[in-house]
Amino acid sequence: MATLVKKIQLSWWDRLYFPSVLKGMWITWGHFIRQILTPTSKRFTIQYPEMKKEMPEGYRGLHELKQFEDGSIKCVACFMCQEACPARCITIEAEEFSDLNFTQGFEEKRPKVFKIDMLRCIYCGMCEEACPKDAIWLRKDYELAAYDRLSLNYGKWDLMNTYADTDGKPIQTESSELPPSPPRNFVTM
Amino acid sequence: MIFSILSLTPELSWMLIKVLVCIGFLMLLAPPLTWVERRGSAMIQDRIGPNRAALFGKIKILGLAHVLADGLKFFFKEDLIPKDANRSLFWIAPALAFIPALLGFAVIPVGRSFQVEGVTYHLSLIDPNNGMGLLYPLAIGGLAVYGVLVAAWSSNNKWSILGGMRASAQMVSYELGLGLSVLALFVAVGGYDPHEVILDQVEHGWFLWRQPIGFLVFFVCQFAETNRLPFDFAEGESEIVAGFHTEFGSMKFGLMGLTEYIHIIVASALIVTLYLGGWSIPFNGDGDRWPVLVTVASFLVKLLFMCWVFVWVRWTLPRFRYDQLMYLGWRIMFPLSLLNLVLNAWWITR
Ligand code: SF4
Ligand code: SF4
Repeated sequence: MATLVKKIQLSWWDRLYFPSVLKGMWITWGHFIRQILTPTSKRFTIQYPEMKKEMPEGYRGLHELKQFEDGSIKCVACFMCQEACPARCITIEAEEFSDLNFTQGFEEKRPKVFKIDMLRCIYCGMCEEACPKDAIWLRKDYELAAYDRLSLNYGKWDLMNTYADTDGKPIQTESSELPPSPPRNFVTM
Repeated sequence: MIFSILSLTPELSWMLIKVLVCIGFLMLLAPPLTWVERRGSAMIQDRIGPNRAALFGKIKILGLAHVLADGLKFFFKEDLIPKDANRSLFWIAPALAFIPALLGFAVIPVGRSFQVEGVTYHLSLIDPNNGMGLLYPLAIGGLAVYGVLVAAWSSNNKWSILGGMRASAQMVSYELGLGLSVLALFVAVGGYDPHEVILDQVEHGWFLWRQPIGFLVFFVCQFAETNRLPFDFAEGESEIVAGFHTEFGSMKFGLMGLTEYIHIIVASALIVTLYLGGWSIPFNGDGDRWPVLVTVASFLVKLLFMCWVFVWVRWTLPRFRYDQLMYLGWRIMFPLSLLNLVLNAWWITR
């Protein structure tokens, strides 16, 4: 069915066009002057590699596996996150971790392998929700790029150490091998 | 001196200098104008614009290096010709668009004529009283249609042909208003030589104030002639891809792009000469005492300002609809210019 388009009757002033054109040019001139006088740091555009945007609270970026103060991993390899992950990109292998045997008389689990394929991950934050130990967090890093697929398959050590910035923890770099796990303090009760 | 080695007469060498300087000026001004367009439009739209390309990877100079990079890129692009294109016309088309655009500048005086040892030197490529006067740039401007049309026709592309047809219809219809508005000006001056027009303006004030309607019509028609927004129907990228130069690539496209900017410069020069007093300096009487270089500077300032206005208008106004364009051309601009002519004719016979 044909649609009848109603024509809008302009007033004679509008139909002169030139006043409105001049007004428009005045507006664009204002924008031009304002933008040219604004220093780069205050403009809307963020000049990316030099300037970076502060991500909002709750932004879901690169994961971090949390550590205790002594540097041991918080994760207990319960597989909750792996189950929750809709993208099926978490791979966990558990191992027994028996320092506590001596004093406590029981054993704990910890992940031997904890891998997240960052290329499959959809950064939904389900793992963070599912974790009973608050061991996995999604943080604000978003600059994930690499030259090959394998290097975006983050392992346990990567996940524990990549993100350390706003926490105040130092970023550990340039040690290719796994750092020796620090001696666990005996729990004194 | 090199001129005596080449055994050139002073007139010839003066001519040679003028040709080199004028064409060099046009060719050198057009690329920075693309920069002005890109950065200026960015500023108008609260963006930043291209600012990344750097000379030797270091010197950024506000993105001016993009101009160089673009030019260089055009040279090294593959030169494609569509399968069923008319090859010879396809090759000629960019030149056909480019050369008329360049030629229009020839009669524009860029500064006051001066005398050295009894010889008068004129600062326009073609000396005054040549019998062509301002008819020449108008006639050459009319040729610009062929560049667009040939480019469109030869590339065997439906978008192109649509763009070409639109552009030719538009240019032809706006030429009427253009001619008539200039006619009113000639009537007021009593001559059609650019020098006479400028001297008349030195004496009696700019035509911008004396014939505002004529200026308005001429100005709008120049936009149509240069195929710029709000009248860029030849391109209309949201409707017909890139219009008449859809199929052009590499340096052919570069030439087409350059043509647009040279058109702007020549149109600005025409507007300055006809309506803004050419090389004269406002509020400063007596045209014979101004130093030549100051008049040249005055002309350049006006020219650059007009070029900026072209850019400015482009980023302010949206494109017309085609029927609106034709309506504006035939039902408003044409009668307005006629009215202007009649009014001025009455004014001088009063
Ligand atoms: S963010 Fe979502 S997709 Fe990524 S690992 Fe966690 S649960 Fe899986
Ligand atoms: S990260 Fe949390 S949910 Fe995942 S295995 Fe470790 S403790 Fe369980």
